[in-house]
Amino acid sequence: MKTAANLKFGEKVKINEIDISNPSHQRILEIGFTPGQEIELVNISAFNDPIALSIRGTLIAIRKKEADCIIVS
Amino acid sequence: MISNVIEETPLISLVGPPNSGKTTLFNLLSGKNLKTVNYPGSTVEYSTGKIIDKYGVNAVLIDSPGIVSLIPNSPDEAVSVDSLYSHPGVGSPHLIINTIDASQLSRHLLLALQLIDSGFKVIIVLTMNDILYKKQLEILQNELSDELKCDVVKIDGKSGKGIDNLIRIIDQNLNEINILGKPKPKAYKLDSNKRKLIDSYNRIEHIVNDVLQDIPQSGKINLSKANKQLKILGTHYVGKNNRPDELTLKIDRILLHKFWGLFVFVLIMGFTFTSIFWLADPLMSLVDNLFSFLAQLAAITIDDGWLASLISDGVISGLGSVLVFVPQIIILFLILGVLEDSGYLARGAMLIDKPLSKIGLNGRSFVPMLSGFACAIPAMLAARAIPNRRERLLTIFILPLMSCSARLPVYALLIAFLIPLDKPWIGGFILAGIYIFSIISSIIVASIINKFRKKIINAEDNSSFILELPTYKLPKPGSILRNTYSSTKQYILKAGPVILAFSLIIWLITYFPAGDQKIERTGLAKEQVVQLEKSQQLENSYAAHIGKVIQPIVEPLGFDWRIGVSLITAFVAREVFVSSMALIFKVTDSSDNLQSSLLDSMRSAQIESSGKKLFTPSTILGLIIFFVFALQCMSTVAVSRKETGSWRIPALQLVIFTSLAYMMTFITVNGLKLLGLG
Repeated sequence: MKTAANLKFGEKVKINEIDISNPSHQRILEIGFTPGQEIELVNISAFNDPIALSIRGTLIAIRKKEADCIIVS
Repeated sequence: MISNVIEETPLISLVGPPNSGKTTLFNLLSGKNLKTVNYPGSTVEYSTGKIIDKYGVNAVLIDSPGIVSLIPNSPDEAVSVDSLYSHPGVGSPHLIINTIDASQLSRHLLLALQLIDSGFKVIIVLTMNDILYKKQLEILQNELSDELKCDVVKIDGKSGKGIDNLIRIIDQNLNEINILGKPKPKAYKLDSNKRKLIDSYNRIEHIVNDVLQDIPQSGKINLSKANKQLKILGTHYVGKNNRPDELTLKIDRILLHKFWGLFVFVLIMGFTFTSIFWLADPLMSLVDNLFSFLAQLAAITIDDGWLASLISDGVISGLGSVLVFVPQIIILFLILGVLEDSGYLARGAMLIDKPLSKIGLNGRSFVPMLSGFACAIPAMLAARAIPNRRERLLTIFILPLMSCSARLPVYALLIAFLIPLDKPWIGGFILAGIYIFSIISSIIVASIINKFRKKIINAEDNSSFILELPTYKLPKPGSILRNTYSSTKQYILKAGPVILAFSLIIWLITYFPAGDQKIERTGLAKEQVVQLEKSQQLENSYAAHIGKVIQPIVEPLGFDWRIGVSLITAFVAREVFVSSMALIFKVTDSSDNLQSSLLDSMRSAQIESSGKKLFTPSTILGLIIFFVFALQCMSTVAVSRKETGSWRIPALQLVIFTSLAYMMTFITVNGLKLLGLG
């Protein structure tokens, strides 16, 4: 299963599903990561984590552990 | 006091997601005479202003913490959200003004929908329309108003354009409330969070499709508007708005880069440090000199012995030790303001999140920790931005270990004792060494505290780092200056009374019971007489008695009662240690070469019982180590109490850091003695 945490630099994908077993899933939905939205991995922090995702015209820095609940196609 | 006002005047709450232009709007709307009210739980203070002062509307405006949604993610957020419905201090709002960043319409509409669904009376304020305009898009205000069934106003935060319109609409809404009665919102309930959130966003996407349109090009027929009205087409406009700012993406390639990103980070931190120290230094000595001048003036002009001493040594010196840090704090907040406003702070937090998470902290701990190198008090206030309770408390816990500027004068004196006169450059290396040592020790202490967090911090939250990276923009000097002013004021108001009260207590125990001393004055200048009198007072004071009582405690460290007394007085503020040492070792020179004559006195000081030298390299290093660890600052303790909500953490900080300081000093002094460096 591919998630936002294992995207490559510049890879654009659509969100399939949000995994509710992750404790951060609610906040992730609230800030706009909903199924059907397109996301792009635009940057990776110097220590490889967190990553920066583009969503709905903005940039969100998010730890890989949390991005892992964004399931993509 | 505030609640009395509310009973007769309507209350308007300003609500909005972070980065939605909420603070800018608050500053535009509220007059100058702000009051702060406590936001419960988070112990965050929020400003209230009366709109009447500025625009002739009789209403109180209250700011609130930035929230993403009405569904709380943590106990702290729950308190913030609950107090939106009914604030324990000021009651429930008649009206809510909800700020929305027009370029983030879809994400920011979530909170708006939740507020409206809860039954609040809401006015939507669209900010940052210019950013949308650059993408050649605009929001159809009336359509959005129809869809949401509430008033929508566009505001330009820079020019204040649209404020008059907003005031008119606030007036209208308040009139309606007058006739129809105050709205009674119901708590926003969720049966299935995920389903409902996705549904809300589906609804939002329809709304956005309906209200977002191309800006009509002159000379062309506006097809898009016609299409909108016929509800044809749609997704194209949303797609156009879904691309983040290109320039921001390019800058981030560098600023988050594995090499260049860290390089710039270190450069910016280095610049901030050096500014805090070197830029502030002349200003600090200016404040210092001014207050010593005032103290001398008071001592000379007031005839009455103890009153003169109270005014000059108690009140004026006490005020001086509060205000001497103001230049540093202003510089710190100016730099942080520029970094924040430009968008860099979020990147800094992102860069440092990984290493900090290893020791139980968060990327967001980085700003408080940086501030801690100036002063722990603004640093603890800055820790409010950390949403996770455990990480916030842990950050507050270790902040006293950051080498604050009050330690500098102490280190300067002690280092001067150690190094040969002809090689002053060695001092720079030793100072750098002390800083590196204190950074490494705070990392170690943080990870140890983190191991025992269940016992010490007593809070468990899901650790999370989700942070919006704002678009880079040029900082606005006006808002930076305003924030610097209010932060500095907060520092003075918080630290001031504690430091002042404590310096009065210290004055009492150092002045009494001796009172006025009779000194043989022949051949002595007036200043020297005053200095000798003070030394006599101190020697016979309660403080000296206390010092002699604690002598057995400090003896294993190689100290005697005189150092003990100086350490006690340093609880007012660490730098007071230097002036206490000067008093207790009877330095009688004028302040110009105070340090060199104090050094001479220290070099010749002997341990009374054995006649051995009191100050040796080992005791000096021991003192340095003591100052690295000990929590010798009563205002820090007071602010820690306020920010953590109980005495638990400040008491633990005091006990843990002071005993750690004692242990480390003991090891250092006796270790060095064993090695023959006694």
